[in-house]
Amino acid sequence: MVIEKPWKRWVYFYIPLTVFLIGTLFPFYWMLITAIRPDAELYRSWRAVNNAPFWTLHPTLEHFRDLFEKTTFPHWLWNTFFIAVVSTGISLFCGLLAGYALARLKFPMAGALGTSIFVTYLVPPTLLFIPLADIIRNFQLGNTPWALILTYPTFLIPFCTWLLMGYFKTIPKELEECARIDGATRFGAMVRIIFPIAVPGILSAGIFAFTLSWNEFIYALVFLSSPERKTVPVGVVSEMIRGDIYFWGQLMAGALLGSIPVALVYSFFVEYYVTGLTGSVKG
Amino acid sequence: MTMRSGITRRRFLQGSSAMVGLTAAGRAPAFAQGSKLHVLRWVDFIPACDVELKKQAGEASKLLGADVQFEFINANDLQPRITASIQSQSGPDIIHMLHNWPHLYENGLLDVSDVAAWQAKDQGGFYAQSETYTKVGGRFMALPHSIVPGLIAYRKSWFDEIGVTTFPKTYDELRAVGTKLKKKGHPYGQTLGHTFGDAPAWAYPLMWNFGGMETDRGGKTAIDSKGSVEAVKFMTAFWKDACDEGGLAWDDTNNNRAFLGGEICATLNGASIYIAAKRGQEKIKDERGEPLVRDIQHARLPAGPAGSWSYHTAFAHGVMKYTKNPKLAKDFLKWFHGQDAFGRWFEVAEGFSVGATKRWERHPLWNTIDEPMKGFRTAPDNSRTMGFAGPPSAKATEVYSKYVIVDMFAKGVQGGSPDEAVKWAAAELKKIYG
Amino acid sequence: MKKPIAGGTNGAVVVALPHPGTRRTRRLTRFLESERLLASLLLAPTVVLLGTFIAYPFVSGVWLSLSDTSVGNVGHFVGLKNFAKAWDDSIFQQAFRNTFFYTFWATIFKLALGMWLAMLLNRSFRGKRLVRASMLLPFIIPTVLSTFAWRWMFDPTFSVLNWLLFRTGFIVNKIPFLSDGVYGMWCAIAVNTWRGMPFFAITLLAGLQTINPDLHEAASLDGANGWQRFWHVTWPLLKPVTLVVVVFSIIQTFSDFQLIYVLTGGGPANATHLLATYAYQVGVATGLLGEGAAISLFMLPVLFVVVWVQLRYLRRLEGA
Repeated sequence: MVIEKPWKRWVYFYIPLTVFLIGTLFPFYWMLITAIRPDAELYRSWRAVNNAPFWTLHPTLEHFRDLFEKTTFPHWLWNTFFIAVVSTGISLFCGLLAGYALARLKFPMAGALGTSIFVTYLVPPTLLFIPLADIIRNFQLGNTPWALILTYPTFLIPFCTWLLMGYFKTIPKELEECARIDGATRFGAMVRIIFPIAVPGILSAGIFAFTLSWNEFIYALVFLSSPERKTVPVGVVSEMIRGDIYFWGQLMAGALLGSIPVALVYSFFVEYYVTGLTGSVKG
Repeated sequence: MTMRSGITRRRFLQGSSAMVGLTAAGRAPAFAQGSKLHVLRWVDFIPACDVELKKQAGEASKLLGADVQFEFINANDLQPRITASIQSQSGPDIIHMLHNWPHLYENGLLDVSDVAAWQAKDQGGFYAQSETYTKVGGRFMALPHSIVPGLIAYRKSWFDEIGVTTFPKTYDELRAVGTKLKKKGHPYGQTLGHTFGDAPAWAYPLMWNFGGMETDRGGKTAIDSKGSVEAVKFMTAFWKDACDEGGLAWDDTNNNRAFLGGEICATLNGASIYIAAKRGQEKIKDERGEPLVRDIQHARLPAGPAGSWSYHTAFAHGVMKYTKNPKLAKDFLKWFHGQDAFGRWFEVAEGFSVGATKRWERHPLWNTIDEPMKGFRTAPDNSRTMGFAGPPSAKATEVYSKYVIVDMFAKGVQGGSPDEAVKWAAAELKKIYG
Repeated sequence: MKKPIAGGTNGAVVVALPHPGTRRTRRLTRFLESERLLASLLLAPTVVLLGTFIAYPFVSGVWLSLSDTSVGNVGHFVGLKNFAKAWDDSIFQQAFRNTFFYTFWATIFKLALGMWLAMLLNRSFRGKRLVRASMLLPFIIPTVLSTFAWRWMFDPTFSVLNWLLFRTGFIVNKIPFLSDGVYGMWCAIAVNTWRGMPFFAITLLAGLQTINPDLHEAASLDGANGWQRFWHVTWPLLKPVTLVVVVFSIIQTFSDFQLIYVLTGGGPANATHLLATYAYQVGVATGLLGEGAAISLFMLPVLFVVVWVQLRYLRRLEGA
């Protein structure tokens, strides 16, 4: 074990860590304060004498209440959750199969296909979304969650494929070969032996895909129009900024509440996330 | 609605021609059951207006026998939605059109000249700006609805303190006064950012009032002129001496907040500052603890050496070509722009929006409205259009959407020489106009 | 029951004792023994989805960029005119430079800070799990919303940061966070770093945990100090992970849209436009779809080159 002196521990560890923590979490503290601050205090000039930006003596829950009563925020939470879960599911399914195929099977054009899947990740969404609007219209998916559920995998699948490919590469080939010697079919070996081992990788890819999907903005902005169908990012931005006025209180309340589901998912799975990445990283 | 406004409205309508249309007849025409009409508008700066519109949607639905739905989005998001809708040939049936957008989206809009002719006749003729903006090649491609005039809102008491009892009439006077006020910690507030309303409303008239213009009558770019250079020179000096220099990052809401927070002494804006101050009298106070609204006055833009023009934002409703219910849309607009429905909305707007037709100058609202707001009644009468001196074509809209004129001033203000700024703008215009 | 086959190599046929009524499954499984067929089946969903929703729109987008389509008007083929017009456009050139500047600095900061944080988190201490979880928060919260919070913190009139610096005596006048082009760019880089650093940290942490602590033990016994241990033990083993994370980060940052759109909108006076936001403004807001598509396409070759170079390097590392 590497032993170090106590003062070194303070200088090299505790202080930097604290600085990181403050830097990372200060905006959240700020959002929380803004969300519980009454309107009258929100707009005081920065030079005003009684300006106390870091705390408030009159905390109020009115912004949270307004969020639930005056807007369709609960709809947005549900929409975003539904879309994220389903598109993550689709992407994991495709990514799992594709990752296995590219990592383990030999077939012509394996390299080219792998590269082209990766290249699709490079195509910028700002190029795609007008032509995509056409396709969405052709399939009559406009203003439905399916418009997003089918377009989100376009940037989720390449990443999932890639991550799982790396993960599969670390699983020794001998495992499969033993299984097949024992008489399992190739397909059976894949499903019953390899996939269970890759669960950390799958979880890891799933969490990441969920986050990306939750976070997405531009497709949601263009393809959804009714207030009840919007996702949290689009809804908060478009409904909380009414003309001249930014409803900062509600905006921040919405931002905080909008992150809770994802934070919960992470808190359950963060250990898997790290181990999953470890596995794929070794590859 | 109070008793008083109800009576005045009835008296007003009695004096005008009989109400034509569906409301008088009281019967619902036979539209296919389940027809929907989706109307997309901006989020009004006066929230009460949108509340009124939601109510009217219910009325219209009953009258027309269809499902009329309003959707409100941020003005900045209107153009992207219009583009996406026209390209995918699906979306709202009626969309709010600002400035001269009908010229830009001409091929995606339906000809509404018949309804326009009716409205002009019914309400005393359109303002020149509204008509030019919606008439493309002799046909009305959108129906003018309203205008949001902009005036300079200022803090009377601060101006009185330094001995200025009437608002400066020329730009140079404004600069002198602004310099004094900035030294006292109350600068003038103006945005030079990429905003859809406040920045062009200042930049275009500033250019015109010093003699500059985008194109000549024939449509050739003419911005590289002494007038433009003088305008940029003035703006640069004015910025340093009298303005809040954070204005480069402001959007359309920052100046409202800064004014209501007591940071700036004056700013060009629609009536939303006054109305917000009035509605929030309990919360919005000045340094002495008095309601801020009592200290707000309005004045027109100052005059430059070449004139005293302004620019106001004109609004219209366009019917999209891809709509499945063109007749329903037109019938709705006829009701919506009619004296009854529009009149009610107009009253709720309390002077923030004025009509696109001249009859609304005579509305009794103006008699009972607060004194500082009276200037908004005839504000639209000295507005020019974008693309001056040429027509407000799609190319002028491109110049607007690329913020060329606004950026010309922004460049000067950020330290470039006025000549370079104007030359840059000329090059950009040349690329657009060819 | 299955009989083992001696010398099981790939492609061996499975012999199964007759099962009641499973002729079809047998034929199916025999089909799937072929690597090619199995591969086609496994890749089919991916290929269909990506083909419909990326390949086709991509081709359509390329066509757009070669035409003069504007909203509502049919476009005609104009060759490379849009690309030439963009190349001459001073705002485009600014956006192009900005994108490189932004990506370069943001990636460096994220890498450096992420690495440092990963090393800090690699130690065991009380509350480690809580700290690790809370470090992920900037990454979890939707970008649009956190950027709004930052925008409020940088607000020209009500900025809390200005207030803090003013009260502690560091500044006399307000810092023009977002009203100045240069400041604006650095603010954007700061927000991007804040948001992206956790991803680097967690991924690098995963990599660090695969490094055997005995190696560090041995190095320190040999007299290496902290920095030398890092440079000679940790870094070489981390290179593959780092490269992977950097590649993904560069792709995301280079085509970043949301952050700039919300924070500055490209202003002031186009000083903070990136290629993605400018393409959006030209193509969608102004309705010049052909030109917007051309601007978007400029991103592609650059990304391609950057990624290709890095992947070659990665392959070389792995081969070594």
